[in-house]
Parts: sequence; C-alpha cells; structure tokens
Amino acid sequence: MINIQDIRDTAKDMLAKGEVRAVIGYRRGSRGMPAEPAFITNPEQAEELVWDPTCFHNLSLYLVEDRKFLAHLNKTSDAPIAIIAKGCDARSIVVLLQEHYFKREDVYIIGVSCEGTGVVDERKLAPHLNGFQATKAVFDGDDFVFTTAEGEKRLPAREVMADRCLECRNPFPKENNVVFGEDRTGRELAEPFAALARFEAQGTGERWDFWSHHFDRCIRCFACRSVCPMCYCDECVVDSITFPVTPATTAEEKANRIRWIERSATRSENITYLMTRAMHLAGRCTDCGECERACPVNVPIRLLNNKMEREAREKFGFEPGASVGGPSLVASFLDSDPGDFIR
Amino acid sequence: MEKILDKKQVDAWVAALTDWEVHAPVLEDGIWAYQPVSGAVRLNHPNTKQSPKGFAFPQREIFFSFEQIKGEPPKLTQIMPQAARHAVFGVRPCDGRGVPRMDKVFTDHVDDPYYNARRKNVAYVGLACNKPPSPNCFCLSVGGSPVSTDGLDVQLTDMGDRYFVKAVTETGKTMMAAASSLFAEPSAADKKQLKQIHADAVAHPQRKINDPDGAPAKLEASFDSPLWEEMARACIGCGICTFLCPTCHCFDINDEVQNKAPLKGQRVRTWDNCQFPDFTMHSSGHNPRENTAARLRQRVNHKFQYFHKNFGMHQCTGCGRCVSECPVGIDIVTVVNKVTENVG
Repeated sequence: MINIQDIRDTAKDMLAKGEVRAVIGYRRGSRGMPAEPAFITNPEQAEELVWDPTCFHNLSLYLVEDRKFLAHLNKTSDAPIAIIAKGCDARSIVVLLQEHYFKREDVYIIGVSCEGTGVVDERKLAPHLNGFQATKAVFDGDDFVFTTAEGEKRLPAREVMADRCLECRNPFPKENNVVFGEDRTGRELAEPFAALARFEAQGTGERWDFWSHHFDRCIRCFACRSVCPMCYCDECVVDSITFPVTPATTAEEKANRIRWIERSATRSENITYLMTRAMHLAGRCTDCGECERACPVNVPIRLLNNKMEREAREKFGFEPGASVGGPSLVASFLDSDPGDFIR
Repeated sequence: MEKILDKKQVDAWVAALTDWEVHAPVLEDGIWAYQPVSGAVRLNHPNTKQSPKGFAFPQREIFFSFEQIKGEPPKLTQIMPQAARHAVFGVRPCDGRGVPRMDKVFTDHVDDPYYNARRKNVAYVGLACNKPPSPNCFCLSVGGSPVSTDGLDVQLTDMGDRYFVKAVTETGKTMMAAASSLFAEPSAADKKQLKQIHADAVAHPQRKINDPDGAPAKLEASFDSPLWEEMARACIGCGICTFLCPTCHCFDINDEVQNKAPLKGQRVRTWDNCQFPDFTMHSSGHNPRENTAARLRQRVNHKFQYFHKNFGMHQCTGCGRCVSECPVGIDIVTVVNKVTENVG
C-alpha cells in the first residue's frame, strides 16, 4: 500500500535540494472527486500531492509540453523534471525516450505501482451511487472507498475500474528513478485485449454498424488528440493549417494548402481523423486510456488503439514502451518479421 | 397560462403535438442526448451532455452550393434550412438562458438568415431544477435561477406525480392548447406547492462565483496577470469546454470541394473553437492567442467581460458543463474567483 506522505517527502526533498526544477503530480481538484494535474515548484507545495483512484491522467503529456515550451524559448533544460508515473505512463515516457523527444537525464521518474487495482472509470461508477456524486475516492486494498452525501461506499475495485486497468499486465513502472508500491506484474484481473476480443466476436456487418454509429457521433473536439502524449506533432493533418506559416510563406502556398480533412464533423471526415490517429499510434500507444476517458461523447476509441497494439504484438512480438534501449516499432526490422502481408 | 398535467399524460401531450418533431433527453451510449422521441418521454435526466444550442445553430450548416464549368461563370445555389418545427423537451433553465444570448448574436446584432430560419421553428419546453442536477451548477451566480423561464416557451416543474405547466410565450400557449383536455386547472394548494418547490430550489446550495458584478472590470484589469499562465498550466487545448457550452457561438466558414473538374462543392459553416491553436492564426503567421494561457483568458473574458460590454449580461449561464467535462480540471468558477480576488 502506498503512503502518499512518502511521495510528498521525496518531492519536497528533491525540490529543496534543487535536484529537480518541478514535480508533476496530482492534487485535489476544485470540482468534486477527480484529482487534477499539479505542477509543484516549491517544497511546501509538495504537501498538496495526492494519490488516489482518480489519478487517471497520463502526466507524460506535460513533459512533451515542457519540451515544446523550452524549444519556443530557445532554451535547454537546466535540471530534470520529476514526474509521477503509473505503469502505463512510465511506458509512454519510454516511448518518448525511444523517439528521442527528450533525454533520460531530463526526467526523474517517480514510479507509482497500481498494485492490485488501477484507476476508477467514472462511467462504471455512476450506477453504483444512487444518483449521488462522489466527492472523494481512496484505495483500500483491492477495494475503492467513495464518499458521497449518503456516506461511504465501498466497492471492489474490479467492478468500477477502467477496462484498460483490468486488462493491464504491467501495473508496475519498470522504468523509474524511485518507485512506490508493490510489484504486481502479471496479475490476472481480465484477459489482455478482452474488450477487443468481445467486440471482434461480432460479424462484419455488426461491427460496421457499430463504428458507423460512433463515427457519426464524434464532435471533433480533439480531446483524444490533445490529451495524448504521443500526439505531439507540430503539424497535424486535421488542423486547417498543416504547415507552419512564416512571414516567408507565400500567398499561393497558403491558398494551395492541402486540406486532408474538412472541418465538418461528418462520418467520412471523422473516420479519416480517428483512423489516421490510430495508425500513428501503432506500436506507440501504451493503453493509458486517456483518449477514451477524455471523450465527452463516449466514442470507444480504445478499441481502435488496442487493435493496433495487438497487431504489433501478434505480428512482431512488439510491446510499446518495454525498454528505453529497445527500438521503436517502425524503426526496427528482424529477419523473422512476417512478410505474408506483402503481395 | 398555468395548468396541471398528470405525468401519465405527458406522452399523450407529445402525441398531440402533430405540428412538431419532439426531441427529449435520452440516455444512449452512456450520455444524455436530445433525440427525436414519439411517445415515452421521461424527463428524469440531470442535464444533457451537449447543450440544445445545435437546434438553431448546428455544428455544420450548408450556406450554398457552387458549380463551375471552366470558362463559364460560377453557379451558386443558396440552401436554406428545411428544418421541421422542433419542440425540445426537458431544457434546463441554464440552457434556456443560453437561447436569448445566442439570439443577441445571431438575431439582434446581425440578422443571420440560417440561424433565424431554424430559430423560429424551435420551441423550448423547460424543466425547472428542483435541486441542482450537477455538483458544478452555478446559475445563481450569473443572474440565473433554477426556476428561470428565460428563453423558454413552456416551463414544467416536477411536483411528484404531476407537472405544474406554465406557458411563457404565445408559442407555449399554442402547444398547450393542442391538447387542452389533458390539462387541469391548478388549485390554490397546487400554486402553494409550486411556490414552495421553487423557493427550495433557489435555496439549494450551488457553486459560487464570488463577485460576478465586479468581474468585467476586474478581468479587464487582469489582462496581463501571470495568473493566466498558472491556471492554464494543465490545459491541453481541446475543444470540450466550448463545444459543450450553451452560448459559445464562434464559427468557421470553408468551401468543401466535392469535385475538381467541373468544380463542384458547398460553402459550409462549422463550429469553431477558441481553444484550438489555429483559431486566431493570421495569414501572416502571427498568432495573437498563441498559447493555452492566452486562449483560456480569451474564453473567460468573452464570457465575463466582452459579451457583458456588448450586451449588458454575462454570457455564461452557469450550467457547469465546462467544469465537469474538462479532462484536466480547469474550472471556470475557480478561475474567475482567483482573478477577481487578485484585483483589489
């Protein structure tokens, strides 16, 4: 069981000694149960840090933001940033390191093990609360305990955990500078890719109807892209301007810009957007599940990314974010790679 | 016009509204969304995920189609909305108050033919909030009320097994008249009960913006405040807050080409979003709202300063969607409070 005070003390100590310039972690939000990202720069603030089942966010996104910010200012990092990372988040950091987005010494990974649980899925939780809203959630062994206006509600974590946490085989952040919590790698709460397997058990027609329905529902708020640490491209095909405009850009270049995707949130455009994103995440997505959690209209985006993840695993034995020294999927080649899809 | 309607008669009333396509909140895919309904209307929703602004201001509106054969003049064909008359049931008071705010922009300030063609064919049948449907409700802080009738044509108040039904506009009266035999006259006891329910609703605690009246001037004084950077630190720059908002109305216009030769396509208006990096991108390459801090400041100022200057009212109606739905906890109530507290 993780004692949050240990994490706070570690953060406080590093900040006081100037070993890191900031600690990215979680603190209480102002709008009810969910924790929110915290950017701690002075030692006293470290007391604000929390660790509970609502620490869903994959904070490695902010390492990307920090890198972009420094680049904008033409600066380099003078001290590492410390970041609290769950198993999936740490694997995201590894992918970013494999892609040389920043250097290993630029980041200090404070690993937190999800042990036997994971994070709560608010959509699964709602039916358990009789219409009440939870204001607080805490870990207690294999249970989550929620506080509502009705009192305390204890639930087995596996009943209200996110699917990706149930299916997670690596709840322990192997890549770390310091780690808290017990290693429960290999725990078996659900089969990996179980949700995907359930979906794929249906016929082609049903699957097409399912996706047509959801592609029609996407409102293209781009929360899935914005919340994803892997979606770091400076130029994205969905934006109305897909190349950096400078004073030297001619009017003709601007007028002749290629628009891959129209602004209209219609089925064809939404398919192009979501499929493009899924392809770009193949071998990179660590199934942190943030895209699906952030989606305001519940498009089951995770199924798309999961499909690509399973393809990479089955075809190439590839696991995203497994080790810093390892290659990325598209940059690796083995004589034993299957070539049966090349015709 | 004030009447009593047995809840068992709601479906019969909906069935009698033969001139209208009735929409009501339905729970589908885990979210509440307005859907066309026939019969079975159960108004047991908290609030819908998306506001009802799309009935008059859809996310995609076709303005006209164009065709051109090379060497010949282009042919333009205006496409006006051929929308049915929509009766939207279950509209919460905050979303009702969004309607006159959208009207300010698209009816009073300019006469937008597309918006108004739809708007005149929409009726809003509101449902008062006996208690706040979301922990992030703050309508009372922005001049609203859980029993407000602003923007509504009919107001329903839940009285257990019956609704107290009040016609707010002439359209509302006509809708009630379409099934007058279903409605009963309210007794003195009914009116007393309604008064009590409304009084309790208003007394129910909500989130609070501490100085809404001082906000416009204090925001103006805080344009260069370092607080924006700090408060936007977690912002990921997605479009949830504005797309779900009942009053965000910024749009983009594009030509969507379907065929190059002969040239054929449509000019369409789509929702735009001040949180997107390309929203304020100039053709020179300069971007006056170049980071999330500037964009958060833009949205909050539009709600609590610019709109107030233009139209004498806060644009925000306190529905709390942007607060509840933000994936990283950006909270407009906290933001406005922090900024206003920081100015003397």
